Amino acid sequence: MPFRHSVNIVASPRPRVGKTLIARLLTDFHAHEGRNVVAFDLNAGEGTLAQFLPQYTKVADLSDINGQMALFDRLVADDGVTKVVDLGNEAFEQFVAVAGRIGFAEEARKRGIAPAMLFVIAPDRTSVEAYRGLRSRLPLVTLLPLHNELLGHAQHRDKYPMRGTEAAMVHVPALALGLRRYIDQAPFSFSRARLAAATDIPLDVHLELQRWLRKAYLEFRELELRLMLADLQSSIRLR
Amino acid sequence: MTKPTVVLVGADKGGVGKTTVARTLIDYFNARQTPIRAFDTESPRGTLKRFHPDVTEVVDVTAVPDQMKIFDTLGTTPAAVTVIDIRAGLLSPTLQALSDIGFLDAAKKNQLTFAVFHILGPSIASLQEIAETAKFVGDASYFLVKNHINDTSFFEWNPATYDSYFHQIQNAEEITIPKLNEMACEQVEISSVPYVTFVANRDAKGDPANNSFVLRGYVRHWLGNVWAEYDRVKLADLVAPKMESHVRQVG
Repeated sequence: MPFRHSVNIVASPRPRVGKTLIARLLTDFHAHEGRNVVAFDLNAGEGTLAQFLPQYTKVADLSDINGQMALFDRLVADDGVTKVVDLGNEAFEQFVAVAGRIGFAEEARKRGIAPAMLFVIAPDRTSVEAYRGLRSRLPLVTLLPLHNELLGHAQHRDKYPMRGTEAAMVHVPALALGLRRYIDQAPFSFSRARLAAATDIPLDVHLELQRWLRKAYLEFRELELRLMLADLQSSIRLR
Repeated sequence: MTKPTVVLVGADKGGVGKTTVARTLIDYFNARQTPIRAFDTESPRGTLKRFHPDVTEVVDVTAVPDQMKIFDTLGTTPAAVTVIDIRAGLLSPTLQALSDIGFLDAAKKNQLTFAVFHILGPSIASLQEIAETAKFVGDASYFLVKNHINDTSFFEWNPATYDSYFHQIQNAEEITIPKLNEMACEQVEISSVPYVTFVANRDAKGDPANNSFVLRGYVRHWLGNVWAEYDRVKLADLVAPKMESHVRQVG
């Protein structure tokens, strides 16, 4: 089965590790690459993905079966749309439990959809254990540790073992100090049109933002190539 | 030719999920490619027949001609397993009739395999049932089925009551049917197809259906658990030829 499109789940069992910023970047990245993209927001409160990118984002809720159907039926739908999931810490457990029970990853693979979880690494035990548990709970989801460089140097990367060809740490570069305030006013899109029209952003900040975006997008592109390569290799092996 | 197997599914109370259990049994044997036929005694309506029309016949188990239809054909039918879904209130009378016609003796002499799935309800009356049924069952495989599909606690809050009934019969095995999400349950009802067909996203004619993947996932997970219970009590060994099957494969 050829690789059609992917489901990127940005996850962490911890709050405030930068999940939503990464989900914003990923969603804008897919749109920038000319793909149809839909994002699902599993967060409560302020500063959510749905507030930043309302045009791409649907608010999802796993507490009842209707919400589960609205999310998972869409994630496995063979509609050629790339999906990004911003999996908030409160919904993390429920998401993994439901996905495991209904066989989400098996179904997705069967339909040529590559599910990948970008797990934001942190030194705390909750994160390390959740990461380890994912191997057995969702074995068919490609598990990729993601280092958010805003959180500092990752000296705990040995706690996040990797497996397979696609395995490599994904890095999201840190944004220069003082630039956060320009991009933290929802709604905000990193699209070229939005940035070009931004009269409130000084030129030097603008250039720095572009540099940062290029670095982040380069990481995402490499990630995609690795996922595609892994998919290709496994389909060759199957034959 | 293997020994014919007869499986009675019954309870003295309605609404405890007899037909649910009968449906999972038919799916279970179908998945193992064991030839099967079923009789639905909810004459004339037939709930089981709605889900498995190809293998199900509606009969009146109290009438002699229909008894002949079921039991006289045991030696000639290609089906290795005969599942009989006994209507509410008819379990004891049916067992009495089976005893009268010498069927239970034949089972004792090992000419056929006989199993009873007794679906328990939530009342004391249903527990007293066990004693009544037990005296007929004798050497048959007797399965006490706790059906959680409609959320019952089965006196687990009162171990004395529970034990006094549950441990009355030696060799009785307990089977637990886990709970299935209500919406998933209803959606299968509406589709009127076997569970396996629902999981495979097909309609009654075998054409692709448009069922929610989430609901199918829940049904597959639940059916897997039910079958794991049947595997645990070695139901397949009862019927004979061993065959590997897995719920994921049919999905």
